[in-house]
Amino acid sequence: MYIKWMRWLLLIWLSAVIVFAFVQPAPQQQIGETSRIIYFHVPCAWLCVLAFFMTALLSVRYLLKKDMTLDAKASLSAQLGLLFCLLATVSGAIWARFAWGAFWNWDPRQTSIFLQLLIYFAYFSLRGSIGETEKRATFSSAYAILAFLTVPFLIFIVPRITPSLHPSDTVIGKEQKFNMGPVVRWIFFSSLAGFTLLYYYLYRLGAKIKVAELNRKGMA
Amino acid sequence: MNHNYVVMVVVLLVWAALFFYLLRLEKKIDKLIKETRKD
Repeated sequence: MYIKWMRWLLLIWLSAVIVFAFVQPAPQQQIGETSRIIYFHVPCAWLCVLAFFMTALLSVRYLLKKDMTLDAKASLSAQLGLLFCLLATVSGAIWARFAWGAFWNWDPRQTSIFLQLLIYFAYFSLRGSIGETEKRATFSSAYAILAFLTVPFLIFIVPRITPSLHPSDTVIGKEQKFNMGPVVRWIFFSSLAGFTLLYYYLYRLGAKIKVAELNRKGMA
Repeated sequence: MNHNYVVMVVVLLVWAALFFYLLRLEKKIDKLIKETRKD
């Protein structure tokens, strides 16, 4: 029953975020109108980290329990992570075109997300290259755990220790305090919550398909 | 008309279309799962 309500809550919540994101003044006056991207680009990047974390967690659980549904769910979460990573990359490139004059200029932030994409594309190459189901699940689970170790390094550390044009103090400033006004903060965190709900909805929908497929093959 | 409102309406339409597509997809999946269980 709560799932039925969750769907409509998701529709209303994200619609409200979209309305407020465009109706309210731009979050950063120095950057201008293009700074509204923060309400969509940052949540996409957040979902990419969350989805890859879930992939690693489900992979650990697969290695402990050897349950094929856990492996299927780990692969599903990696697919969602890759999708949101691509959305974050594309939305960032569009913003860069207006702010820096070019879609792509190998800024440390762009380079690190590009490496992150390659690492998770390799996860699917690995899955595609092994025919035997259990062997594929074991190898890809081990790879997913190792791959997740690169996420904090590539998403949070590298862009902060190398000189970058990418704004780094939009959410939290150098004094470890919120750099946003109260209205911007509300819209931003509502967007993060709404996107997290969207991830949960997509994950639930995908898991239904994966489990049904496994049941049909008699593997669940 | 302010450009922001035009973009907002386009984004809202895309989001609503995606949402109702997912809703339809979910209904289809539930129906297929029920049919498979009967078989």
